[in-house]
Amino acid sequence: MNIAGMGVVFTRGRGAAALEQALEQGWVAPGTVAVPAGSAPAYVVAPETLADKTVLAKARRADRFTRMAVLAAADALQDSGLAGRLDTSRLGTIVATALGPHTTTFGFLDGILEFGDAGVSPTAFSHSVHNAAASYIAMTLDVRGPTLTVTHFHFAFHQALLLADAWLAEGRCDHVLVGTVDEVGAVMAYASGRLCRTPADGRIKPLAFATAPEAVPGEGSVFFLVSRGEGAGYGRVAGAQLTAVPEPAPEGAVHLLDADGLSHDESGYRAVAREGLPVASYAPLCGSLMTISAFHAAVAALMLRRGRRYAVPVPDGAGDLQVCHESGPAEIRHVFCTRLDCAGNRVTLHLAR
Amino acid sequence: MPACITGIGVVSAAGFNRADTLDSFAEGRRHFGKVTRFESPLDVPVFEVHGPLPAAPAGSESRTLQLALHAVSEALSEAGLGAGLTGRRVGVCFGTTVASQLNDMDFYTAYRQTGTASLVPVERFLKGNLAEAVARAIGAQGPRITVVNACSSSADAVGVALAWLRCGLCDCVVAGGADELNRIPLCGFHSLSVMSREPCAPFDRDRQGLNLGEGAGVLVLETEDAARRRGAVPALDVLGYGAACDAHHLTAPRPDGTGLEQAIRLSLAQAGLEPAAIDFVNAHGTATRDNDRTEGSVLARVFGPSVRVLSTKGYTGHTLGAAGALEAAFTALGLRAGWVPASAGFVNQDPEIPLEALRTHTVVRGRYALSTSLAFGGNNAALVLGRRV
Repeated sequence: MNIAGMGVVFTRGRGAAALEQALEQGWVAPGTVAVPAGSAPAYVVAPETLADKTVLAKARRADRFTRMAVLAAADALQDSGLAGRLDTSRLGTIVATALGPHTTTFGFLDGILEFGDAGVSPTAFSHSVHNAAASYIAMTLDVRGPTLTVTHFHFAFHQALLLADAWLAEGRCDHVLVGTVDEVGAVMAYASGRLCRTPADGRIKPLAFATAPEAVPGEGSVFFLVSRGEGAGYGRVAGAQLTAVPEPAPEGAVHLLDADGLSHDESGYRAVAREGLPVASYAPLCGSLMTISAFHAAVAALMLRRGRRYAVPVPDGAGDLQVCHESGPAEIRHVFCTRLDCAGNRVTLHLAR
Repeated sequence: MPACITGIGVVSAAGFNRADTLDSFAEGRRHFGKVTRFESPLDVPVFEVHGPLPAAPAGSESRTLQLALHAVSEALSEAGLGAGLTGRRVGVCFGTTVASQLNDMDFYTAYRQTGTASLVPVERFLKGNLAEAVARAIGAQGPRITVVNACSSSADAVGVALAWLRCGLCDCVVAGGADELNRIPLCGFHSLSVMSREPCAPFDRDRQGLNLGEGAGVLVLETEDAARRRGAVPALDVLGYGAACDAHHLTAPRPDGTGLEQAIRLSLAQAGLEPAAIDFVNAHGTATRDNDRTEGSVLARVFGPSVRVLSTKGYTGHTLGAAGALEAAFTALGLRAGWVPASAGFVNQDPEIPLEALRTHTVVRGRYALSTSLAFGGNNAALVLGRRV
């Protein structure tokens, strides 16, 4: 399955160029989100990043969750160079999310509490469903093929990729826009602050492999335009659900670890990091995000496209591991991205040039 | 490649299992009433499930999961897989709406009022992804994902299962949908002014809107090889799935129905069938003005005005994320039983809809039927089901 285009919206901006710039610049301190006790650190997307009146012309009433997804999906299509040339009845969309548009959902609950069961806003309700973002993507890009929203707390992106590949394999679609979106809202930031430890300096330390890791919530959206035919500008998805890196590991391989502080014990990543490949994690650039696998897939796709490695933004705890400490040209042919869930279940994504 | 249906499980206001449901259908019984599951000032009829449901696993308790596990148990039992799934590549794909959202009013009220709240509901939510919870409960080790495509969620879940089987990702899929009656969507649909104060009347001239319900529908789907290897003798299949998006509006169907028509034609093409082969259609038929007008027009356009159409929502209410799989299950049961019930609530033809729904219990002799689903977001899904000779 080839990756023909990519769109990214995250705390450092929008587009592959913004991602590349962030990778070159390294870590910067997070912003904040309001919580009952004042504010909490969070890697939030700036309002100006979502202020594209052209792309969002049909999404004027949409919330931040949907806006992030629409922009990332539109950018992936534009980036592929195939916009306007596709049969949109054979273009599918799969949106994967862990938590959905929960800020709007809680806003709808505000309506019930303030105005009663019979006094709530129909607009808030219709935008609170998980598939609102997919609907706006379809309306914005005139996608007429199958349009699906799926949810899982740890492996939503991997499952979405599997399904995209299945749709392409069975001839249901010629191309699929597949991606993720999740947001930081006050309630979930509050919950995250209670359920996870928060670093005083806002730095997530993914290579510390802590038994009680620290998390800082992040948000954003990543989309890929994939196909079995033309366009492999960012490489290809060679496997979406491996249980390990193949042995012997292929030449020119890098291993990205999806450690971001959200699973309550990240010591399992240490064994993964000992498997012999150079390792890296870029969670400090996007924040702790249940759909972080898609963000790492975007970094992997950039590495393959640019033939470049990027210094890890927060190397703390890496010790004697073979870690990417410097950015620079590199003969990268394979990138593996591994995600462990709270129960230790492992899924590895494989992107190849 | 079709997917064999080796087990069916259903629970809704129409019945606590397959046999109960067929009894209700045969006798035309409609079990609606006032909301009893929670306090609500909204005076609208709903279709609740009454009866003892299995306990949900500790830590991920939810009524939606209980409904799902009840139907899963019936389906696995019929499939002969009730003793366990060890050694089999089994996927789980479920559709839902309510179970995907953290809409716990007690938690949120406390949070708003005091700035702090017990996180037990959050932790329960984070352990309660429906497909994951079902997979854990039955010991399935294959792919698992929850589809949240609003009212077509579980029809799409069956479509995902079909794709997994066709691509060799697993040999068996427990596919379905579940949703409990919940205060949040009740308020939401009320705000959209699409709910009826009377029992719903799909496709009827005087229909006033939908009623909400709750339930679960589950199909155990297997590849032919996998079913044969373990000695199962399938009698029913899912033959085709079509899906298409309107790309038109967040809540209203595209008036010309081209998205639904595309989904239906794709499902027929995958099944290798012409429209004339379809004996009956179990329509989405929510009883809203817009849905039924659009859907009825498309069905008449594709199949002709004399197509036999019913909506089972007159027996179940609109079960949201459960509706697609529940109605696919009812369609399969109709093919197997050789009859379908009257379309409850239908009395007078709507001059804007060029077909009539079934007025009476009807004998089915054909081998193929269609189940359609339309959803918020402009999603359209169609499933073709078949009975073997």
